[in-house]
Amino acid sequence: MDVERPLFIPVILGTARKGRMSLHAARLMESEIAKRPGVETELIDISRMPLPVDDAGEAIKHPEFSEKMNRADGLVIISPEYNHGYSGLLKHVLDSCLKEYIHKAVGIAGVSAGPFGGTRVIQNMLPVMRELGLVTIFWDVNFSSVGKVFDEAGKLLDDAFPRRISKFLNELVWMARTLRYGREYIAVES
Amino acid sequence: MASQVKKMKCPECGVDMNYQAEKLIYPSTSAEMKKMDPALGGLIEDFFTCPECGKAESRHAS
Repeated sequence: MDVERPLFIPVILGTARKGRMSLHAARLMESEIAKRPGVETELIDISRMPLPVDDAGEAIKHPEFSEKMNRADGLVIISPEYNHGYSGLLKHVLDSCLKEYIHKAVGIAGVSAGPFGGTRVIQNMLPVMRELGLVTIFWDVNFSSVGKVFDEAGKLLDDAFPRRISKFLNELVWMARTLRYGREYIAVES
Repeated sequence: MASQVKKMKCPECGVDMNYQAEKLIYPSTSAEMKKMDPALGGLIEDFFTCPECGKAESRHAS
């Protein structure tokens, strides 16, 4: 096993809405991942991906996004709730790849202005993650009342979040390492 | 028993990739619908990963 190759766990910001507070959550997550030795990350903002809307699925695969998903060992998805669901644009982006996701770990962080912290969007995303071949972890991060978690400039106001994110990342990194070994060395029976 | 038949070379490294998954894919075009396995309700895609560079590849199962 190539132990020198660092894990790559990008953060996908799953909203293009103007004034999105989820951007602050995504940046916090990115900075917490970047603190971990042996793990690389970057923020992928779906609002900056010029995907066509006159087709869908792998037919509109974006080369740069595909390369990043191919390199990834795990993903963090940051999503606000759009009427209890995730954004159509996020689904459009995620559907553009498949082989890139198979047997890779994913953790989801929900963001809401109210008290539920994106719990409903996280639950709604789980079956989609499964069908994409991703492996969900049992930790989530819930940014409830996000207007109280960050100020307008994105400064973190609630010091409980780094510890919560640490627990989430501990599990995600373990799953990402384990699944990398499985992808690369354990053959499926057929 | 692990498959000894399904092989793919990594297009980046040239080494044997690991056959790590097979998955049911739902047809999205008429051409794919003609190839679908009626018993399974879709097509089987085989997925491979390179142990050197981690690259993922796939192909329809033969």
